[in-house]
Amino acid sequence: MRPEPSAAFTVSITAASPRVIYLQVGVGSFNGLYNSGGTPANNATINVVSVTVPAAQVGNGTVQTMTTNSTASRSFYDNFAFCNAPAQLYVGGFYRSTANTGAATLTASSPANLANANGDSIPFSQISWTSSGNSDSGAQPFPAGTFNGATQTIGTISRNQWAESCHTFRYANSNFVASGTYTGRVVYTLSTP
Amino acid sequence: MRALATATLAALVAAVLLAAPSAVAATHRVDDSGTLPNESTALLRWRQTAPSRTRDDMLEGATAVAVRLNLAPWVERDASLFLVFPQQDSAATRVRWTTQGRLLPGEIAPGDRVLVYRGRITSPVLEETLTLRIEADGNRLSRVQHLNFHFEIDTD
Repeated sequence: MRPEPSAAFTVSITAASPRVIYLQVGVGSFNGLYNSGGTPANNATINVVSVTVPAAQVGNGTVQTMTTNSTASRSFYDNFAFCNAPAQLYVGGFYRSTANTGAATLTASSPANLANANGDSIPFSQISWTSSGNSDSGAQPFPAGTFNGATQTIGTISRNQWAESCHTFRYANSNFVASGTYTGRVVYTLSTP
Repeated sequence: MRALATATLAALVAAVLLAAPSAVAATHRVDDSGTLPNESTALLRWRQTAPSRTRDDMLEGATAVAVRLNLAPWVERDASLFLVFPQQDSAATRVRWTTQGRLLPGEIAPGDRVLVYRGRITSPVLEETLTLRIEADGNRLSRVQHLNFHFEIDTD
């Protein structure tokens, strides 16, 4: 018997970008076609959610529905009109990963209070939201909640999934406060394991 | 002395038979020890950056391999050369390749054996460049993986 050579050649492979995440709160940007190889782009816009409480209703507990200055109704996932801007704020994104190490987590960090120029304040916990999506049924990935004036979990995105919800904000209006414009910024962060 | 000479002759005949491939049809592993990938590691990218309704979680990328096959034992023989991609624990699901013309292009999946040449072996060394396009399951490529290939020859 003639001995067989044991040679073989090896090609090593690895993922160039093992993890990719995209988060869009309000308006966002995408390059190319959303459902055929499109890629996310940066968008520095910070949308505003606001309400003007009539003087006669300040602090009377009548919930005030808030509105946004967002124009993002269509999802970059499939171009479907998923949200109803400006009444709703689009919250969505995706998480790509080659490793089965769990889901990405979306958190929101809010300050303890909204404040006006005179230093008066309204607890951020006066603002809450409901969650829905056009033609959507079942649980939302980013469900209803109330800001807690700290960092809180908004929801998760499973590996290699796109998740999206539309948030409708409301102001509880249960505090009698001085007149003025009260502002505060919420920062949303998507973190991968 | 006669007995010793006979034994020596028998040993020589045996040595000659060992040095040449069998005249009957057979499959042999080809010495491809001179074959080298152009890159140490091929980088695969998401075919679709964003997850989509089609659930396309595939990665893909390309790399070249400089193939050098030692065909000396089969010169002037009619033969068929095959690329073999044994079953292995890897994320790769399919590899397609193009060539410069000395070998056939094609595609291969784990467990397959694909014809790359049929005809007379005219040279002791065959050199070719394969450009591989590799597809892999993005759910299973969390670390560097090594794909093992080899060549086999069937003599007619």
